[in-house]
Amino acid sequence: MTLMARRWSGSFALARRHGVFLVFILLVAFMFVSKPTFGTYQNLTNVVQQNSIIGIIACGMTFAIILGGFDLSVGSVTALASVVGATLMIDLGTFGIPIGIVGAVVSCLLVGVTNGWLIAYLGVNPFVATLGTMTVVRGLIYVATNASPRFGVPYSFTTLGLGRLLGIPNPAILFLLVALLLGFVLHRTRFGHYVYAVGGNSLASAQMGVNAARVRFAVYVLVSACAAVSGIILIGQTASATPQAALGYELTAIAAVIVGGASLGGGRGRMGGTIVGVFLLGVVANGLNLFGVSPFWQPVATGLILIVAVAFDGYSKHGGFASG
Amino acid sequence: MTEDRVSNPYALLRAEAINKNFGAVVALQDVSLQIPKGEITGLVGDNGAGKSTLIKIISGVLTPDSGSIEFEGRSASFDSPAEARAQGIETVYQDLALVGNLAVWANVYLGRELTTGPKFLHLLDKRAMLSNTGDMLKRFIRNVPPIGESVELLSGGQRQVVAIARAGAWGSKLILMDEPTAALGIAETKAVEDVIFELKRQGLTILVISHNLDQIFRITSGVWVLRRGRVIGYRETMKTRPDEIVSMITGATTSSGNGS
Repeated sequence: MTLMARRWSGSFALARRHGVFLVFILLVAFMFVSKPTFGTYQNLTNVVQQNSIIGIIACGMTFAIILGGFDLSVGSVTALASVVGATLMIDLGTFGIPIGIVGAVVSCLLVGVTNGWLIAYLGVNPFVATLGTMTVVRGLIYVATNASPRFGVPYSFTTLGLGRLLGIPNPAILFLLVALLLGFVLHRTRFGHYVYAVGGNSLASAQMGVNAARVRFAVYVLVSACAAVSGIILIGQTASATPQAALGYELTAIAAVIVGGASLGGGRGRMGGTIVGVFLLGVVANGLNLFGVSPFWQPVATGLILIVAVAFDGYSKHGGFASG
Repeated sequence: MTEDRVSNPYALLRAEAINKNFGAVVALQDVSLQIPKGEITGLVGDNGAGKSTLIKIISGVLTPDSGSIEFEGRSASFDSPAEARAQGIETVYQDLALVGNLAVWANVYLGRELTTGPKFLHLLDKRAMLSNTGDMLKRFIRNVPPIGESVELLSGGQRQVVAIARAGAWGSKLILMDEPTAALGIAETKAVEDVIFELKRQGLTILVISHNLDQIFRITSGVWVLRRGRVIGYRETMKTRPDEIVSMITGATTSSGNGS
């Protein structure tokens, strides 16, 4: 590769890394200027509140996508946490809340362990494995609940979903904590490093002594853990067990991660990018809302943004590799 | 017939009567050979002769059906590449050796990362790895590629040089190379060969598979020939000629005449 070509693809990588962030800043600036209601405390906390649940899922999804896979079961797993957790809270009374939280986490981790085992140790394709668990888990939820919600979670628990600390919605604080923690794990620890290595070239990694199967397994358990946290927050927002909760969240989360600069081919992506991706999609949805556009347009916008981001990724990657 | 032709009296690795079948297919039949210490030895043969199978057995990827391997005078049977590596046997594969999206330093340290801080966290010590990598590679490479650059931005030759130097940098005793220059141009091939010579100069032993006989005659001191899973013979490179090796590979009889 010539120096010119390297510079060129280098600057492309730079544009790729900061491009989404730039678009996000411009979008926010545009919203501030054109819609005064956008900048109100009420609206901004709304945006943050609404996107925290998807954001936490997207943090976990970032690991799976850098690993070269993804997890379609996160929406079902979020609903599983909501149903198992809320049901225990409703039925158990005194110690219902802690037992409900533990029950939600444990049931979600079971799904994560299943995904990880199928993908890492049986070699099942992540699409097939997680499509399977997504469908099975949602089906089991419907069977167990007759597909109808149940109400009566202790009111105190809504503090988690609807309360605020220093004016910041609690879900947003949890999102921040999860993002900081997982960003640290991804970018500072050996485990995170191995996620990039296995996602980039799992054969070469394994040859150098990286336990690729264990890394894969751990990542799918981690994704389910994130979905569990989101499901528990969801209980705090709805005070109910909601079998239909989080439908389609898996695709929104994947879209946010890809828009944030990760590549479905694996080996690429950053936690910071995912957070920008989440809020980019969130602010677009909010903007459409504020401009009075029908909410039916929102998936159209999300889809278009996703396509543009992926097309740009393919273009820059082609530029980088073709000359290499 | 062949053993007495090994000029170096000390064999770093000795394989005795190795057999390996894949179902009904006989991959290796009664293969016995020695790899002299401190030399570059070639391993040649036509496609399907069993070269790669043999390398995989030596490096612990495959286990033989029967036969024994002695490494440094001690019996050695490796159940995994990690075990072989721990004993000082490293393999450099054609293309799969490096992780493209990781930087040079991260590839050199892959699987052996330096960590810092509390043990359970396994925090990467990037600074130490960055500063060490340059020195580690400089031992074998004259022009060290940029340490912080992603490997996929390097040329094929630079990548191969990094992969080979990595094997040397980690104190391997025996380095197995499967077609190290198969996909490279002339200048890049020369750079890779320079690194191979440098490894030898620093006392390492190298076994190299190559289809390129010019290369075999350029870099090796001796060459083993396999045909259809059997050892046809060993020749000191100085005392043979390409046409003899070719006839051993293909099985055509020549004046030099050889067994099996």
